[in-house]
Amino acid sequence: MRRIMLIINEDDLQTIFANCSREYPNEACGILAGSPGVVEQVYAMTNARPGLASYEMDPEEQFRVMKAIRRSGLGIVGIYHSHPSGPAYPSGIDVERAYWPGTLFPNFPDAAYMIVSLAHPSNPAARTFAISDGQISEVELIVRQA
Amino acid sequence: MPITVRIPTPLQKMTNGKAEVECSAGNVRELVDVLEKEFPGMRERLSEGGKIRRFINIYVNDEDIRFMSKEDTALKDGDSISIVPAIAGGGYNRRVRR
Repeated sequence: MRRIMLIINEDDLQTIFANCSREYPNEACGILAGSPGVVEQVYAMTNARPGLASYEMDPEEQFRVMKAIRRSGLGIVGIYHSHPSGPAYPSGIDVERAYWPGTLFPNFPDAAYMIVSLAHPSNPAARTFAISDGQISEVELIVRQA
Repeated sequence: MPITVRIPTPLQKMTNGKAEVECSAGNVRELVDVLEKEFPGMRERLSEGGKIRRFINIYVNDEDIRFMSKEDTALKDGDSISIVPAIAGGGYNRRVRR
């Protein structure tokens, strides 16, 4: 089911922004675990391919984290990465990689894709999208204050 | 005890919604053949030109086959196989400052 909103705590969003700023000018990436539509845990991940204006999570780390999430009874509700100088909108490659190679089967159908733009480095901007059925649709990001 | 294969969500359409299937195979290449026989179309989803597709990672008991013998990685009964899509993206070029 396509979710129309993703709820995240302000602290967790700041954790993501800090990770993206730390990795600048490379792309940062991470996994958001939680219950449907609600982020409960942020996993900052290692970008195994930095420096190419792209990201690919370290496969071993990704496997380990996915397993930990499954064991904790949570699911992958979001995947984030930064665009160090681009807009907070999915690139063509972001869309392509969201699907199983050669298909339109979403790899993580329950995950929203959060993109953090650092076009203005001191003022990161996050937007969140559903990428499915060959379409990009915005998912409302609701930030819960502590 | 057969080999257990964990099927990722996007491929569960091909396994009638099953998240795990059991089979027997001597190595990863054979495993792809066995899955293809049972779930036609699986070979193309998993491999290209006899090699596991880029952006698809396969683990045998938590070990990435790229660091073992790739498609020739030996399998035995009781092994647990995971097929995991890579999480990747990117492609916005750096802005050129004038």
